Amino acid sequence: MQENIDTIRAFIVSNFLFDTTETPLENDTSFLEQGIIDSTGVLELVEWLEETFSIKVADEELIPENLDSVHLLAQFVGRKTS
Amino acid sequence: MLLTDYLTTATERDHAKTLLIHGDRQFTYGDVNRAAQGIATGLLGFGLEPGFRGALLTDDPFCYIASYFGIQLAGGVVVGLNTQTSAAGLAYVLDDCRASVLIAANKFARYIQAALPQAPSVQQLVLADAGEDPQDEQPWCTHSFADLCTCPPSAAQMLPYRSACDFAQIIYTSGTTGKPKGVVLRHANLIANTTSIVSYLGLQSSDRVMAVLPFFYSYGNSILLTHVAVGGSLVVNQSFLYPNTILQQMLDHEVTGFSGVPSTYALLLNRSSIASFSFPKLRYLTQAGAAMSPELARRLKGIFPASAIYIMYGQTEACARLAYLPPEELERKPGSIGKGIPGVELQVLDKDGKPVLPGEIGEIVARGENIMAGYWNRVEETREVLRPEGLWTGDLATCDEEGFLYIVSRKSDLIKSGSHRIGPKEIEDVLAEHAAVHEAAVFGVPDEILDERICACVVLRPECACSEKELKLHCKKYLPQYKIPHEVVFVADLPKTTSGKIRKNELRATLLHR
Repeated sequence: MQENIDTIRAFIVSNFLFDTTETPLENDTSFLEQGIIDSTGVLELVEWLEETFSIKVADEELIPENLDSVHLLAQFVGRKTS
Repeated sequence: MLLTDYLTTATERDHAKTLLIHGDRQFTYGDVNRAAQGIATGLLGFGLEPGFRGALLTDDPFCYIASYFGIQLAGGVVVGLNTQTSAAGLAYVLDDCRASVLIAANKFARYIQAALPQAPSVQQLVLADAGEDPQDEQPWCTHSFADLCTCPPSAAQMLPYRSACDFAQIIYTSGTTGKPKGVVLRHANLIANTTSIVSYLGLQSSDRVMAVLPFFYSYGNSILLTHVAVGGSLVVNQSFLYPNTILQQMLDHEVTGFSGVPSTYALLLNRSSIASFSFPKLRYLTQAGAAMSPELARRLKGIFPASAIYIMYGQTEACARLAYLPPEELERKPGSIGKGIPGVELQVLDKDGKPVLPGEIGEIVARGENIMAGYWNRVEETREVLRPEGLWTGDLATCDEEGFLYIVSRKSDLIKSGSHRIGPKEIEDVLAEHAAVHEAAVFGVPDEILDERICACVVLRPECACSEKELKLHCKKYLPQYKIPHEVVFVADLPKTTSGKIRKNELRATLLHR
């Protein structure tokens, strides 16, 4: 779990925050509330998840309960890979 | 008649009617009107002169809507700011329009703190949460939005008299090049456009729209005004991050209308569970912001067979709307943006101002009560587009024998290849019809022999594969040889402005520096 959190976090920081610390990113920070990711960013994120964790994300799984924070993403990946 | 009359009239008619649904919160017309009156009283208490510019920087729709009408009630001009901003961008707009007051959400505080020193006209800052220790050492005064909303009416402070000719709003347009320009709109402009849209969409107080587009752009602004004008309701979710959430809200709140731009529909059709939903109450869909490919329109009709689909065309300089294609013409006139809306006259003119023949390319020129007063403090640029013939839109189009208009491209997008002048839109539409293509952008890149060669940047749909050769073959089926792209480059996504227009200059520069 912690390994996934670190991997996901590194991707978000690198790709959406451009390695800056201007926007604080806690593991529970909502991407939606903080405007960290836009709608095309979500698609980019999903593509990365599928490639990195060898999973398939269905259209109906594109919901905030699965994707809207580092923690939620890690839990989602955990469920998909277990 | 003023825009504020929409709110006061609808409130007098039914103050308990829901105006706004945002997440778990609901606000009636009475709630919003009360807040707007309080905001107006509070703003007048700041000693602002009629015609002052009141800027809004918030993604809270209640704050936005109440402030929008509050600023106008106080005699001010609303400047809705893009919430996807930077300190420099914010400073530029605030300074350009000489805003006196900024009403903002706290989440933008870091931009505001950096921008306000560069925008000395801003003397009053209203924050959703002003905190206990407003920074008195700053040259601006900080106030609480909640305090403003609850300002009691004062007999000593009469709301100023305003006429329909007064400026109501400035909307900054996101250009692909250069600095944003402020489009100045009078009450009369916006009322003319609102009346026309209400008429052709047949909007009524029973209508409830799913509003996903930001209010600070002209399209979102028109959705707000048309629904307040009829006493209707808005279900607002302006972060189009999770399309399934939007679909669920549409179902939960039984919305009767939905408005989007092509990328909105592309996302809904390609990355949501839309096929598993049904929307029996959905009366209509509107699409504007860019032309819709015939293929996308057909797919949309397949999913919403019982809903009327309105393809629309407009510009910020025209408040929002200039043309629409009646739903019953969608299949007969694929790719058309229709004809002028009621009260708008559209012509396709050549560069000398003469109407072109059917099938020939010219520029769309518009006349009507909805055309802007001009660009804020930009006399020359205003003169370039507001000429005796009307508003020169910069959009190139053809007109068929029946008067239906077809956008060919923006004037500056025209590709000069050999002896040909080629509009990229036609090629983009053909590419978009390929099963593997999500979206495409076509533009010219310099070529020693041809002057320009045609380059297509293509985004494939998830899990789809396609080769350059296959796409060229596909184009060959529908296009003459000279219109087939010389080069097809596959990209992950297309860079876009915040309003969804593709940044072709950026794509072109990237390709040239490979």
